Amino acid sequence: MAGLTLTNVIKRFGAYEVVHGANLEIADGEFVVFVGPSGCGKSTLLRMIAGLEDVSEGTIEIGGIAVNDVEPSERRIAMVFQSYALYPHMTVRRNLSFGLQMNGNPKEDTERRVAHAANILQINELMDRRPGQLSGGQRQRFAIGRAIVREPQVFLFDEPLSNLDAELRVQMRVEISRLHKQLGTTMIYVTHDQTEAMTLADKIVVLRAGRIEQVGAPLELYDNPANQFVAGFVGSPKMNFLKARIEGKGASGVTVSLRADPRVKLTLPVSSAVAAGSQVMLGVRPEHFVNAGAGDTDLTVRIDVAEHLGHTSYVYATISDEPLIIERPESRHGGDSDSLTIGLSAARCFLFDAEGSRLR
Amino acid sequence: MPLRNRIAYAFLAPYLLIFATFWLWPIINSFLISFQNTRVNPWRFSLTVNWGRLVADPAFYNALYNTLIILVIQVPVMIALATVMAVLLNSPLLKARPLYRFAFFAPVVVGEVAYAAVFRLMFSIDFGIINKLIGSVGLPPVSWFDNGTAAMALVIIAVTWRWAGYNAIIILAGLQSIPGDVYEAATLDRVGKVQQFFHITLPLLKPIILFCVVLSVIGTMQLFTEPFLITNRGGPGGATETLGLLLYRQGFTSLNFGYASAIAYTIAALAVAISLLNLFIGREAK
Ligand SMILES: Nc1ncnc2c1ncn2[C@@H]1O[C@H](COP(=O)(O)OP(=O)(O)O)[C@@H](O)[C@H]1O
Ligand SMILES: [Mg+2]
Repeated sequence: MAGLTLTNVIKRFGAYEVVHGANLEIADGEFVVFVGPSGCGKSTLLRMIAGLEDVSEGTIEIGGIAVNDVEPSERRIAMVFQSYALYPHMTVRRNLSFGLQMNGNPKEDTERRVAHAANILQINELMDRRPGQLSGGQRQRFAIGRAIVREPQVFLFDEPLSNLDAELRVQMRVEISRLHKQLGTTMIYVTHDQTEAMTLADKIVVLRAGRIEQVGAPLELYDNPANQFVAGFVGSPKMNFLKARIEGKGASGVTVSLRADPRVKLTLPVSSAVAAGSQVMLGVRPEHFVNAGAGDTDLTVRIDVAEHLGHTSYVYATISDEPLIIERPESRHGGDSDSLTIGLSAARCFLFDAEGSRLR
Repeated sequence: MPLRNRIAYAFLAPYLLIFATFWLWPIINSFLISFQNTRVNPWRFSLTVNWGRLVADPAFYNALYNTLIILVIQVPVMIALATVMAVLLNSPLLKARPLYRFAFFAPVVVGEVAYAAVFRLMFSIDFGIINKLIGSVGLPPVSWFDNGTAAMALVIIAVTWRWAGYNAIIILAGLQSIPGDVYEAATLDRVGKVQQFFHITLPLLKPIILFCVVLSVIGTMQLFTEPFLITNRGGPGGATETLGLLLYRQGFTSLNFGYASAIAYTIAALAVAISLLNLFIGREAK
């Protein structure tokens, strides 16, 4: 087992830079999730750790040893691919044992490890099938099994659940979490799905366009996003962003008014220097609206659609053409009116400047 | 029959007619001719005159022997070579890939007569570049057209040159259908490049290679161009006469169509038998 350190890691494909200097510490035994939209460089970062891509600049250390020039086969890492990448012509049993066999591992030890992995993943019955005869979920289980058999220092997962249906995804998510508890090995997991990130991670690394935007525990990111991008990416449904204008600054904080309805004014406990009249974004999560009158101010929105899920309801609404989503756990029916008045509580709102940086 | 089907058949009719006249009928007719004594006028039916002659004819056994020798040496060598070429073509290290791909495929496109003429020049005993090269390492010149064994080697070299690239392109398509992440997984599994080739690439290419083998077997069974054009109509003294050449000689030199038809059916039957054997062996090992 080992921790990892990334120092100023840059990756270029030709002249095209896709990772712009990543710095990251991963502790031994930690479950780290790289999350970000498609094309932001998650896989590239992971593949550099695996050694499948060269590092253009900077260093990657595994267990305190720089591995830039270490062959991927010598890094003692195992990777689970989105496409499973099982050997199609071998039974899955042989898929698991193949690597060890090729390296002259003693037969008994190989068998022991394969049996152990099969036990952990409960895949004993299917061992003599070929990958083509298995469902997606089963294949992914074997792909994970092949990684376990390696007994690596670090597990790498590249969107392992993306090809599975929603129900199976939840099930496998729980299993991967259990696996981490059981093995205690460092795991790095790439996904574009913030729910996976929130549920699996000890530590989330949010990436955007080749840059690390924020690193932190799931709830830290939820409660305290560093910028508008992270705020919008973490949490489901997404945080609402309403255009607002700085009215002024007082002892208790900054007062803003909504552009959609300038009568709605809110004073947030923000101490950053701000210029009156400048445009900002007010962020509020769907689940953080309160009942009318219970917050610091009220606003009235027009209801487009209401979704009733039983345990909660989501109201899709607009205020002067700005869309927003409101979660209303206590309401099971929308009522007849097509407008809704709800409360905002300053303590649960965020303010972002025109560049998307958080105003604290 | 519903109207729309009848209309469909009406549109197909011209094709079916041509197909029946120029494809189906000759096939059936040549089978019938193989039971005719075609050396008398008019032709006379005889069950044994051609097939009886076939099983006793030393010229037939010579041609069969030559064809099988070429088959047994040329097909495996060419397929192995084609596989190596395909793997090299597929290497990410290779620059100017389309150029190589074209170069490997070009022999198939070149006219047979032109290619044969060039080969005859290259292997010419006194002026050929091949003998010059052999001489430059201190070996005596080889009389490629006068020595039976050398002539067979020449035919094998020529056929391999003409068809290896073609097969390499087919195998390359197979290689490109193997997903790259399987190799990445193998690399992380600490499986070396050579082991990857023998344990992953080859097994996954097996269906394609088998297909190439069957194509090549059929092609070689019908081999005609090289012994006809390069080694002087099966020379020296019948040393490179193949079944295809014997058929041609009987049919179009001696105008003995009955015997030629019997040989044609033998070639086809052998090609089918050997191909089935290949497929069977290929399936068995799975
Ligand atoms: N082999 C490559 N050659 C050139 N560009 C690449 C290559 N691999 C990835 N990229 C580019 O790098 C960026 C990041 O890709 P990737 O790491 O796969 O994103 P993600 O996994 O986050 O979706 C993308 O813009 C992609 O087009
Ligand atoms: Mg990716």
